[in-house]
Amino acid sequence: MTAILGVRKVRKSYRMGKVIIPALRGVSFDLEESEFLAIFGPSGSGKSTLLHLMGGLDRPDEGEILIDGSNILELDDDRLAELRLTRIGFVFQFFNLLPKLTALRNVELPLTIAGISEKETLQKSREILKLVGLEERINHKPSELSGGEQQRVAIARALINNPKIVLADEPTGNLDTKTGWEIVQLMRKLNEKKDQTFIVVTHDPNIAEAADRIIHLKDGVIEGIKETPRRKKQ
Amino acid sequence: MQQGFELDSLTVIPGTLFAGLSRDRFYDYDVENISKISGVKAATQVMQIGNVTLYNSRNNKTVKAFVATAVNFTDFVEMFSDRFVFENDVHPTEYENDTIVIGHKVNYPTEDDIIPFAVANDTIILTLGVFNQTHFPPYYELNYSFTVGGTLQKKGTPGITNFDYWIFLPLETVRDIYDTLESDLIFVEVSDSEESERVAEEIEGLFPPYKVTILVPLTFIKQVDRILTIVQIFLMSVASISLLVAGIGIMNIMTVSVVERTREIGILKAIGAKSSTVLAMFLTEAMLIGVIGGLIGISTGYGLSYALAYMLSSFMQPQHQGTAFQTPETQKMTITPVFSPEWTALAIIFAIIVCIIFGLYPARKAAKLDPIEALRYE
Repeated sequence: MTAILGVRKVRKSYRMGKVIIPALRGVSFDLEESEFLAIFGPSGSGKSTLLHLMGGLDRPDEGEILIDGSNILELDDDRLAELRLTRIGFVFQFFNLLPKLTALRNVELPLTIAGISEKETLQKSREILKLVGLEERINHKPSELSGGEQQRVAIARALINNPKIVLADEPTGNLDTKTGWEIVQLMRKLNEKKDQTFIVVTHDPNIAEAADRIIHLKDGVIEGIKETPRRKKQ
Repeated sequence: MQQGFELDSLTVIPGTLFAGLSRDRFYDYDVENISKISGVKAATQVMQIGNVTLYNSRNNKTVKAFVATAVNFTDFVEMFSDRFVFENDVHPTEYENDTIVIGHKVNYPTEDDIIPFAVANDTIILTLGVFNQTHFPPYYELNYSFTVGGTLQKKGTPGITNFDYWIFLPLETVRDIYDTLESDLIFVEVSDSEESERVAEEIEGLFPPYKVTILVPLTFIKQVDRILTIVQIFLMSVASISLLVAGIGIMNIMTVSVVERTREIGILKAIGAKSSTVLAMFLTEAMLIGVIGGLIGISTGYGLSYALAYMLSSFMQPQHQGTAFQTPETQKMTITPVFSPEWTALAIIFAIIVCIIFGLYPARKAAKLDPIEALRYE
């Protein structure tokens, strides 16, 4: 399998007042196409920082992040935005839907930004909402949806542009165990069905176990990489 | 020129408003002296008599005229060729000692009158009031017979004198009746209206100080113009200040809106919106505020200007009714606001431009937001 994403000796630290806090202290790994990867670790281990760097939302202090072999850090802000629009999908812990828009409108947003025609946008959005099991709720606003349903809308929004990589930051962190599990199963299903690469950041070992591979992060360094039985089956 | 001011025509009145209207009169040599001034094309004197009554023996009708003006017909016809126009083109071939010319409103006193009071060659008995201190009683009336030379077309109110309400008599005849060589007004025609102020000064120089008042239409127009310019500057400065305040208001509202929507902006940027997209979004919003504000402003302005015009019109009532210079038709002056599509469009465009200018700062602020920090914003 080919590497779709490469992380090379990435370092990142934050300044809080006069104190510099290292979040990542030299992280390297490769990600294969259509892989389902979990980044697992306690809070403060730097997993969200790593996810933001991989998604082109932030830039590292040192190191390289390669997508399809090219370093995304050489791209300017507009190119990075374009990359996020076309190649990467984000799913957040707190869903981050626009409260005033309906589920359908929220899902349509990336296509609208990309300038896709209204007809195509509507058709694609309806399709993807059906795929995540929300065809009955498309005209509801986020406040009228349950947490699990909101996260399904967020996943639909992340997938609408057919990105190669989907990054999920604690997607189950704000859901009960049962709903959380359903969400992971949905992502797993989409990963297998659409051959998209998923990276899920979590501190829940049960969720991590659903992945092909688990990267264990602690204090900004990789403590270990574990292949799950799922992976071994392949 | 049928409407507006006759810029090339000056009116010389005895006395001044400051010294009180004196009983001074003009004489033939005054007219001669004025005629000699360079730039004067023609000058003629007139004598005015108060209310007179006209009786037409043919149809047994009686009318009153506000002002009977004794004129030198030959001069008058030449100087006021635009206004001294005869009805049906019936005009006297020769002006006799007993010729009378009747203004339109005297001939047709009300709007409903279709049949004129008099036509050419009618014989009119004119009743004149005479005031003579050596006589008892000092005020008495005299009757004279005149022959109608013609009647005038309706010409409205050009300048300050309205011929419609006047009747015209030969100057020499009236002087004989009153046994005098005096006259009350001198009309002066200048060859170039631009020179009217200089000519007026020179005419003033012919008389002792404070003996005459000269009505110069050009000066009047210039003064009105000056007042309007001051009003305009005042309005412009008020408008500029309101514009600045409004602009700052827009900037303030939009900045608050950007802060409130920080998280939304973060989401948009995370899913791939460029900074320029966010900028365009907020500028579009600013433009929308401009369009809506502009439309509200224009409709408010429309209403207000009609209200203001109505108010101003009711203030503009003449002070001296029934004098030689004020006739019933000049009593009501109406102001009508003018709305041109060009200015309306310009106002909307201007509103949009102002909104965009003041929306630029908040829009840039939104565009520059860091996506991660924006997403963390609570």
